[in-house]
Amino acid sequence: MNAFEFSTAPIDGTALAAPLARPAAGGFAAFEGRVRDLNEGRRVTALDYEAFESLATAEGARIVEAAVARHGAIAGRCVHRLGPLAVGDVAIWVGVAAAHRAEAFAACREIIDAIKHRLPIWKKEHYADGDSGWVNCEHAAAQGAGAAAFDYSRQRTLPEVGDAGQARLAAARVLVVGAGGLGCAVLASLAGAGVGEITIVDHDVIDASNLHRQPLYALADVGRRKAEAAAMRLAAYNPELSLRPVTRRFDAALAAELVAAADVVVDCTDNFATKFLVNDAAMRAGVPAVLASIYQYEGQLQVVRPDRDGSCLRCQWPEPTRDGLVGNCAEAGVLGPVPAVLGQMQAMEVLKLLLDLPGQLENEIVLVDLLAQDTRHLAAPRNPGCAGRCVRFGAATAAIDVDVTLPLEAAAAAGYRIVDIREPMECEFEPMPVSGHEAVPLGRLLDGGLQVEGSRPCLLVCAHGVRSRAAAEFLRARGHANVWSLRGGLAAQAP
Amino acid sequence: MRVNLRYYALLREQAGRQLEIVDTAAATPAALYAELAARHGFRLPASQLRVAVNAAFCDWQRPLEDGDEIVFIPPVAGG
Repeated sequence: MNAFEFSTAPIDGTALAAPLARPAAGGFAAFEGRVRDLNEGRRVTALDYEAFESLATAEGARIVEAAVARHGAIAGRCVHRLGPLAVGDVAIWVGVAAAHRAEAFAACREIIDAIKHRLPIWKKEHYADGDSGWVNCEHAAAQGAGAAAFDYSRQRTLPEVGDAGQARLAAARVLVVGAGGLGCAVLASLAGAGVGEITIVDHDVIDASNLHRQPLYALADVGRRKAEAAAMRLAAYNPELSLRPVTRRFDAALAAELVAAADVVVDCTDNFATKFLVNDAAMRAGVPAVLASIYQYEGQLQVVRPDRDGSCLRCQWPEPTRDGLVGNCAEAGVLGPVPAVLGQMQAMEVLKLLLDLPGQLENEIVLVDLLAQDTRHLAAPRNPGCAGRCVRFGAATAAIDVDVTLPLEAAAAAGYRIVDIREPMECEFEPMPVSGHEAVPLGRLLDGGLQVEGSRPCLLVCAHGVRSRAAAEFLRARGHANVWSLRGGLAAQAP
Repeated sequence: MRVNLRYYALLREQAGRQLEIVDTAAATPAALYAELAARHGFRLPASQLRVAVNAAFCDWQRPLEDGDEIVFIPPVAGG
């Protein structure tokens, strides 16, 4: 059985469905497209179907297989009639077997839509008034008769890619967060490679000062939403793709929703807060994340692999509160090729992941200096005391209020037991302003190194109140109700 | 003891160079950074940086040896 076939004989849905029966298939959805008696206001009495069979068969099979894989269905097939048909005849049949109805319906719907949109099939309509005419199928109407199809042959020729690799790319869902300098480079390469579904998140609008390093946008696009302008540009570039622009602000809820639905997430944002959101959502969902950041003539690249129990952004950088400490593109300046190069490096890592190519980055950070043309790999293994452990084990309980706003002296006077959870190095550089405190670094605390007494309130302190909050929530979740976090950390204390 | 230094981003700007070879008595990256911060006027506290010695991230208290290559890495967020 081929996933897509043409038939000159009438279609028998029951017979076509039989080979799709599986013990695990609790759901089966079928769609029949039939010849209608009316098209664009004219009475139709009969039809003739013609197709470029070899091209349509191969492409049809790709569509069915991609939809089955994308929606997690078990098996699917599609049969299209050729030759003369009468009104009421079945012209196309699609069937999908899946564990549950949702996947079966979704894959079935995607197959019929894609077949109608993409396959080179034409029909000759015979009208009641005796006239007849060839009607382009939607594929031809959309692309113009004789227009070339997007041709992946140069990458398909690579032995590591081939037809199987191309099908994997077509079935892949990639989330790109940020459509700026990095994002433009990533998006162009992923769309060119034929990544089937690309979600583009950016709530920003295009500014004229973006154009020198964001070549997906034209001068006339200034003021438009980046995600929408990028999606439109890429749809014209490669009409085969499913492009989904999202213009909502990327907050924790949106991150959780979108990251969980992706095979890979690419961080192309320009601020620490969002980078940590991407990192945390990827860690929780077990989805690989490709992160990059740039500064003037340099960049950093890191691939987070929760699927391989790899290190994460927090293993190296415990807190996401450094926005404003170092300059961004607007303040520090940037040369256009810098995000372009780093973005292409990200796209390369995404393709390596999707195609399972050798050399995938993990547990390291790559520093790229484009003035010296120097690339340096720094080993960055998992930090056993990583603040990300809270994330890794899925403690998403922000609803509990554990924060205390108090000067430390007042807290000590009020009887709080004060525990400094920073790393020894940080304590040395910035000593605690009160005496009588204990030092229990976060890693040790998470390993059970802090004995909490129920009767005395315990106040955890870190640099900015982020790690202490996570640690307090961690201990609360383990039944220690009298644990608190100093809001804003030492940075919020009066000098 | 002579060590090789490599600066990135804000530190490169503030040091006015990318590479530097220094003779130092500093026993650890922490002590070395304090020495360099005083010399070059680095504004970022070490708690905001990471340090790598010989191409691996490491602890600020790792003992330094003659000929080590030390990279101080400031956080970078541009996109």
